Amino acid sequence: MSPIERNNVKISGSGPRAMMFAHGFGCDQNMWRFVAPAFETQFRVVVFDHVGAGGSDLSAYKPEKYSSLNGYADDVVEIGRELGLQGAVFVGHSVSAMIGALASLKAPGMFESLVMVGPSPRYMNDGDYVGGFSETQIDELLESLDDNHLGWSAAMAPAIMGNPDRPELGQELADSFCRTDPDIAKAFARVTFKSDNRGDLDKITARTLVLQCSDDIIAGMQVGEYVNARIAGSRLVKLAATGHCPNLSAPDEVISAIRAFA
Amino acid sequence: MAVHDEPVEDLEDLYENAPCAYLSLRPDGTIAKSNATLSAWIGVPREQLLGKRFLDLLNVAGRIFYETHFAPLLRMQGFFNEVALDLVTASGGRFPVLANALVRKGAKGEIVFIRVTLFNAGVRREYERGLVAAKNAAQSTLKEEREVSQLREQFIAVLGHDLRNPLSSILGVAEMLLRKDSTEQSRTYLRLMIGSAHRMSSLIDNVLDFARGRLGAGIPVNMEASVPLAEMLSQVVEELRTGSGHAIVAEIAIVHTVECDSSRLGQLTSNLLGNALTHGATDKPIRLRAVTQERALEISVSNSGKPIPAATMERLFQPFFRGEVRQSQQGLGLGLYISSEIAKAHGGSLTVQSSEVETRFTFRMPTKG
Repeated sequence: MSPIERNNVKISGSGPRAMMFAHGFGCDQNMWRFVAPAFETQFRVVVFDHVGAGGSDLSAYKPEKYSSLNGYADDVVEIGRELGLQGAVFVGHSVSAMIGALASLKAPGMFESLVMVGPSPRYMNDGDYVGGFSETQIDELLESLDDNHLGWSAAMAPAIMGNPDRPELGQELADSFCRTDPDIAKAFARVTFKSDNRGDLDKITARTLVLQCSDDIIAGMQVGEYVNARIAGSRLVKLAATGHCPNLSAPDEVISAIRAFA
Repeated sequence: MAVHDEPVEDLEDLYENAPCAYLSLRPDGTIAKSNATLSAWIGVPREQLLGKRFLDLLNVAGRIFYETHFAPLLRMQGFFNEVALDLVTASGGRFPVLANALVRKGAKGEIVFIRVTLFNAGVRREYERGLVAAKNAAQSTLKEEREVSQLREQFIAVLGHDLRNPLSSILGVAEMLLRKDSTEQSRTYLRLMIGSAHRMSSLIDNVLDFARGRLGAGIPVNMEASVPLAEMLSQVVEELRTGSGHAIVAEIAIVHTVECDSSRLGQLTSNLLGNALTHGATDKPIRLRAVTQERALEISVSNSGKPIPAATMERLFQPFFRGEVRQSQQGLGLGLYISSEIAKAHGGSLTVQSSEVETRFTFRMPTKG
């Protein structure tokens, strides 16, 4: 299966350069629905779903491959190669900011600019480093994932597996946002919240923009500042938007910040 | 017409003391209004709740999950339903709830309020967690069991395969000696030996077929078999006759073309004759009848003796089922199961009738005629 089908890649717009948008844990490419279209007049816009999310091919999920962010970064590189991306802009939300950084290290020249929206190289506190969460809290999160996938897995499994007797299930699924396979979501949560990519930050050579929200409980201000300080020549823009998803709550602010940079 | 003393529902009181908690959030997620039920549940007075973020009422895991999953859904589809969350109470305890939320938009489509309704879900959550735990436990037990049973079946397959070769040499040598040796006594011994070896060989075949079937390959049939069916059946009868010394009356009339796996039907016939030898009356002959009609093949094996009890009949074709026989004659109980599988693989059937007069197994399959 080609990476295009595997990752449910959608291409729109046109322009001399490409801009690739990557979603984080908990959602799919819909995360960019208010932002990506704004760049279609100047860029070839690429959106996709990580394996396990949205319309990706669930059968492509290999536990070993995706046991670290590198597996996800390899997918990004494969998509980039398939599309012949050179000097492109990578816009990554949440954990995908680091996935994009890893991809830029794996394929020099593919991404000349990185836009990191709410990045965190490590979510757990470690000595002097403040990631925002204790290990106990993250463990509690991983345990509690079962609580909210109960209804989802039961309702969605038949539709995912194809249920010709009940076409309405497929329709419902097509209309729903941020679908994730419960088992893969659990593994992705573990990989995301237990990751430590602090050591990769100073290797980044792409031009980098860090977009930091106020009052973000997932990746706080001090984390954004840490990322900005560790990447040579990066720029930090503090958004007025609150929360962890400015791409949904304040798309216009995000669009102008990316425009000013790219 | 109003009933005179009917109480009037007070909407303000309905809001405040509803059997569920109500919250209205501003677009930035801070609490603009909440009801008395919420304060009672978590032990925090309303004045302390107003202005706080809804997220602040949740445990850390809930906050992360809310921000990564449900906040996006609210922005994209304007609602979420049946989300399991834990409120943190004033004393530090957890108050499990199910949350529904709906965005109230203004005239220009802007978010005015996010309305959240919470339902007490303590007992339900306990129950659901119990279900999840039970499901996980069952899945891991099942996985272990499957691995063990697959290993066991692989072991059986390998063992059966390894037993075949030495057995063929024993059989080969015994048959050679039978042709050469002259004394009547040793010929009798050799016949017994050959009979036992054939029985052992068909036991191994059955075990191998069973293991193969369980390993997912099913019972393979080769419809383009080289040996003609009549010849194969005569050979089987001869083998068992030589081995047992029991009278077997055979009527083989295969006059139409039959598309079948003759060695598999030989195996089926051998199993049926073997059963008849074990269970039938020793002083009456066993009858084999193999005939073709216009569009069917029928092979039947009958013996005299005690009828099969009704309770036994029901389970006769199940694997590892053994009827009441002397200890020394007990097999694995696979013969009839394998035979019925062979019948199925030919699009046919294997049935049994048993009375005081005789017990008869009949295999029938359709042919092209």
